[in-house]
Amino acid sequence: MVNVDTPSSYGNPRFHPSKLYPSLSWDREAYVLGIESTAHTFGVGIASTKSPYILVSARSTYRPEKGGIHPREAAEHHVKMAPTVIREALKHAGLSIRDIDAVAVALGPGLGPALRVGATIARGLASYFSKPLVPVNHAVAHIEIARFYTGQRDPLVLYVSGGNTMVAAFAKKRYRVFGETIDIALGNLLDTFAREVGLAPPYIVEGLHVVDRCASEADDPVVLPYTVKGMDVSYSGLLTAAIRAWRRSKDNKDKARICLGLRESAYGTAVEVTERGLAHTRKREVLLTGGVAASPVLQEKLREMAKLHDAIFGVSPLSLAGDNGAMIAWVGLLNYLSNIIIEPIKAVVKQRWRLDSVEVPWR
Amino acid sequence: MEAGQRRSALEVGIEGEPAYVGAEAILYVVDWFGDKAIAKYRPPKPYRHKVIDEDLRTRRTIVEAKALHTARSIGVPAPELYFVDPISKIIVMEYIEGVKLADIIESNPLKAREYAKTLGVYAARMHSNELAHGDLTTSNVLVTSNGQLFIIDFGLSSLKASERDKAIDLHLFIRSLESTHPEHVEVMVEAFLEGYSTILGRSEADKLMGIVREIRLMGRYHEERRRK
Repeated sequence: MVNVDTPSSYGNPRFHPSKLYPSLSWDREAYVLGIESTAHTFGVGIASTKSPYILVSARSTYRPEKGGIHPREAAEHHVKMAPTVIREALKHAGLSIRDIDAVAVALGPGLGPALRVGATIARGLASYFSKPLVPVNHAVAHIEIARFYTGQRDPLVLYVSGGNTMVAAFAKKRYRVFGETIDIALGNLLDTFAREVGLAPPYIVEGLHVVDRCASEADDPVVLPYTVKGMDVSYSGLLTAAIRAWRRSKDNKDKARICLGLRESAYGTAVEVTERGLAHTRKREVLLTGGVAASPVLQEKLREMAKLHDAIFGVSPLSLAGDNGAMIAWVGLLNYLSNIIIEPIKAVVKQRWRLDSVEVPWR
Repeated sequence: MEAGQRRSALEVGIEGEPAYVGAEAILYVVDWFGDKAIAKYRPPKPYRHKVIDEDLRTRRTIVEAKALHTARSIGVPAPELYFVDPISKIIVMEYIEGVKLADIIESNPLKAREYAKTLGVYAARMHSNELAHGDLTTSNVLVTSNGQLFIIDFGLSSLKASERDKAIDLHLFIRSLESTHPEHVEVMVEAFLEGYSTILGRSEADKLMGIVREIRLMGRYHEERRRK
């Protein structure tokens, strides 16, 4: 199944891009097609220098019938769905591949087999149609699409997804990582717990994570490990303790209290390290992005935290918060306008391509 | 405000403008029987469930008081503890006049290197007494005008530290350098380990660094993991 989002679902960016990216030239008309395949989503988006900037975001997500993401099965899904997703994206943008100025691709970080599908397709399109190929870091893309839509100039970022949990801010030409998980990611914690105790799959029901849903049945949480180390968080002890508590639980009331305890420790620590990052960097804006940004509970907690410090809270438009091709297209466009292109033969995937290793020239 | 809370707040005189509003605590400069002192208050956080919030603030207040006391008793300079009240979440401690190590690194890298070595000595003293700081960043080390180091902010300490807790101290020290002083990481870490070695020996310092490397590879996308 292909899901297609257009400006009617993600709205319009807050400002004209020249406000956030004054060093780039926005006069010339250019279109970049971006491909995302770092994990369970194969996504294709098209970005332009002209309004509405993000023309379309098409994607197909691999949903395992049971268990978590199997990298090979995700890759097989991407191979099968890629042609349809690319075609749908172009169709909704009213463009032909010949109208595209450059092809961008997320080369990492992510799962090797999944990444290689996107990279192979991008190299193929670029070579066959003689288009420049633009490398994009997936984490930079999550941050930048959120920044563009919220209009935040210099935020402290909380980036939370199935594979990443980090607090980052821009300094000296790069997004620096101030804090992160020292074991598993927040999304992974919630998903693994839900799977282990039989709440999932599906992980998301009516737009809410099953752990959030289960937690809403309780008022009084079971107190579970709450581990903050400086600006880092640790979730593995919390996961083990929550699963153990669940196995000892007697009734549904107990279970809901465990979900609430898990949710409160998980989100509480993430918000606390963001608060520490905010106090440390003295930034005036807080930006939430990544797949877990869709959680209304996490949004509310972060909004309350930002208020304590008179900081402005912003969150990525929800249809662009999770993995998608539009954010790759957007950073692809910024990179393309900054002349960051790569020869197809050199466009190899980087499974552990760290955010703080990427120089960002357009800020 | 409960009766106990009000009494305690009046005793330490936390009224008026705070001297510093941090992420976790609010600091007031107060007069403590004629001495200039810091009153550190941990306010409730609206983003945490109140049961968890209460538990956490109580625990951290007690841990910080114990850790301050332990640190001083083993020769690690830290503010002297004057008063603690876990019910109102207030600690009163000695006022230390100094600048953050973080603010010296750029302006005086040679001195900063020396301080990193001394910090390594202090970390080793803590670690050999099962104390891990839990937030050992360059912002939590104060340097006084006569060049004396003080370690502050013990709220995340472990009093029965595991090997991993100790390694996290070094990991956080490195992280604080990487995020704000990326060009000084190597020199500062080498100096830290040099100081650490003088107390616990080179093999313990190497072991610590080994665990730090493991932590930094765990669950994170890292270039080095591929080379392993």
